[in-house]
Amino acid sequence: MALMLLRGMSTPISFRSSTGLFFTVLRPRLARFTTRVESAQATEAKAAAKSIQLATKEASEQKLQGFEAIIGIETHVQLSTVTKAFCSCPYNYGSQPNSTICPTCMGHPGTLPVLNEKVVECAVKLGLALNCEISMTSKFDRKQYFYPDLPKGYQISQFDIPIAKKGYVDLDLPVEFGGGHRKFGITRVHMEEDAGKLLHSESGSYSQVDLNRAGVPLLEIVSEPDMRTGIEAAEYGAELQRIVRYLGVSNGNMQEGSLRCDVNVSVRPVGQSEFGTKVEIKNMNSFSEINRAIDYEISRQILLHKEGQADQIVQETRLWDESSQKTFTMRKKEGLADYRYFPEPDLPEVVLTTDYIDEISKSMPELPEAKRRRYENMGLSMQDVLFLANDDNVAHFFDSTLEHGADAKLACNWIMGDIAAYLKNEKLSIDETKLTPLELSELIASIKNGIISGKIGKEILVELISKGGTVKGVIEEKDLVQIADPAAIEAMVDKVIADNPKQLEQYRAGKTKLQGFFAGQVMKASKGKANPVLLNKILGEKLNAN
Amino acid sequence: MLSAAASTIPRLRLAAQPRSRLPSSGSHWLRPFSSATHVTTPAAAAGAGSLEPPDLPRLANAARISLSRQEAEEFEPKIRQVVDWFGQLQAVDLESIEPSLRAGTAAGSSLREDKPETFVNRDAIVEAIPSYDDPYIKVPRVLNKE
Repeated sequence: MALMLLRGMSTPISFRSSTGLFFTVLRPRLARFTTRVESAQATEAKAAAKSIQLATKEASEQKLQGFEAIIGIETHVQLSTVTKAFCSCPYNYGSQPNSTICPTCMGHPGTLPVLNEKVVECAVKLGLALNCEISMTSKFDRKQYFYPDLPKGYQISQFDIPIAKKGYVDLDLPVEFGGGHRKFGITRVHMEEDAGKLLHSESGSYSQVDLNRAGVPLLEIVSEPDMRTGIEAAEYGAELQRIVRYLGVSNGNMQEGSLRCDVNVSVRPVGQSEFGTKVEIKNMNSFSEINRAIDYEISRQILLHKEGQADQIVQETRLWDESSQKTFTMRKKEGLADYRYFPEPDLPEVVLTTDYIDEISKSMPELPEAKRRRYENMGLSMQDVLFLANDDNVAHFFDSTLEHGADAKLACNWIMGDIAAYLKNEKLSIDETKLTPLELSELIASIKNGIISGKIGKEILVELISKGGTVKGVIEEKDLVQIADPAAIEAMVDKVIADNPKQLEQYRAGKTKLQGFFAGQVMKASKGKANPVLLNKILGEKLNAN
Repeated sequence: MLSAAASTIPRLRLAAQPRSRLPSSGSHWLRPFSSATHVTTPAAAAGAGSLEPPDLPRLANAARISLSRQEAEEFEPKIRQVVDWFGQLQAVDLESIEPSLRAGTAAGSSLREDKPETFVNRDAIVEAIPSYDDPYIKVPRVLNKE
């Protein structure tokens, strides 16, 4: 309990400072694309894989020296409600500064907060998805601090009675990091409001405030200190992102600050029961940055331990600097901040009924963990499973394709291969293309039934995904039906053999490798439409005739 | 779906049982703190659950109020009286009374639909901002403070 409270209390500083930082690193237009690419996360992971693996390797080598790291994460998720938590102001990322404000979120005297019902719904959904106990009655508290991004002088949050607690999350580590299943504890999930954005002027003589974001609903998710490596922490964050996206409670976009992770890292000699001094790290804008920042921090702390300078590890907040791949001191913590929590007198307690919770339970979508286990049971490899379940749009597309009768492995191969490559090139998500699950299933069936060859299939896919239409339509329009008439193939074979007497002579002299040359010539003559099995059978018979 | 469910949320339980059932409630626990003579030995009155005496410099700092040493000395007994008055509540026997998180409000009616409504008089809000640097609110430099 004490631990929980301490962590609850250590949050607001984090969320305040990240506010400013996030703003300085914003790349609004780019963000859209970055996210998409990230959502096909395998690509991102691979790009960074080399350096991550190096860092992981370094960290693990040092871990062999008898130390272990303890990692806990606080995650803020901004909810994608239409309006703010306690007033009816709409919120849209990127709006004109100070355009969506009202006396309530501006903290004017005499205004009263009224809780948005959607916030409760999102909190219960996420609580259930994280296998938490849901509090039938919870309340809001005021967390006091003075800072210009929070006009009221306090943040409405939940302190001693969060809406959900004592849960866990299951995940599978990526195959390229050695794989493995993990279960990490969730301490609590609580509702609170976001602060505005602070900008610091170039000259540094004053600061600017945009209060559009003040009062936007957040869910804070506090993990148990169950993670031991950077990759475990990064995957925990990625799993939370998948869950909030599957649930539709948040866009989970790290670049926009809709999902922010503050990580606590400490190191201790193996066998020691008490934790080492914990250091908080911020300013990580992707999961691979989380991974590298943590592994760097672990190495830094272990080195200090080994050099007998463990006392140099102090409770502080450090910032990850992506360009130098290091963490730097932002500020030392001078004791615990005194937030003087007390019950928010302007809001009644939040009372839930079992009917309400049951109804939300029933409306829950299939979650990433359930999806992964289901895909695994279809016989797909873990690599396939993780790819498909990573993005709920992709998973949904895959599931619909199967509903139209396609074979799981074949559908998976198309999605992970040609389709993923196209999406990456065009920076699109799967639901933004013209390809439908029905047509993908038709395409797979057409190849399976021998109507078209696999090679032609790839050409048709490009057509479907960029221009739309149906498999049947494209086949007819471009006259792509596979030639499976033995007489027609025989005629082409005869002609190719007649046209290449020299090669025929060499073949018959023992250079049988030349069958490939003949096959290629026939295929070319058929414009790729000859049934390859039939072609090779007939060609073999003809070449070996005599 | 949520609004339907919300409307079925039961009315909040009464925060406390009717006062007549409160043992030892009497009139003394509502005694105003202004009569200083009544609270000369409040700690004793509050019993085991008495509250800690106030730490004036800390409170002043937390409230961002500058107090001179003399002012702090003057305020200390006054604040102590307030705290001690609340301390007397500790003596109330709450055995067999179900805890209440909040004072009573009808819970079902307290939620709002997620429907946007743009505040119409934005000009008045902007006008009320002490230092406005269109489109931002201008505040003293805060980077690296703390």
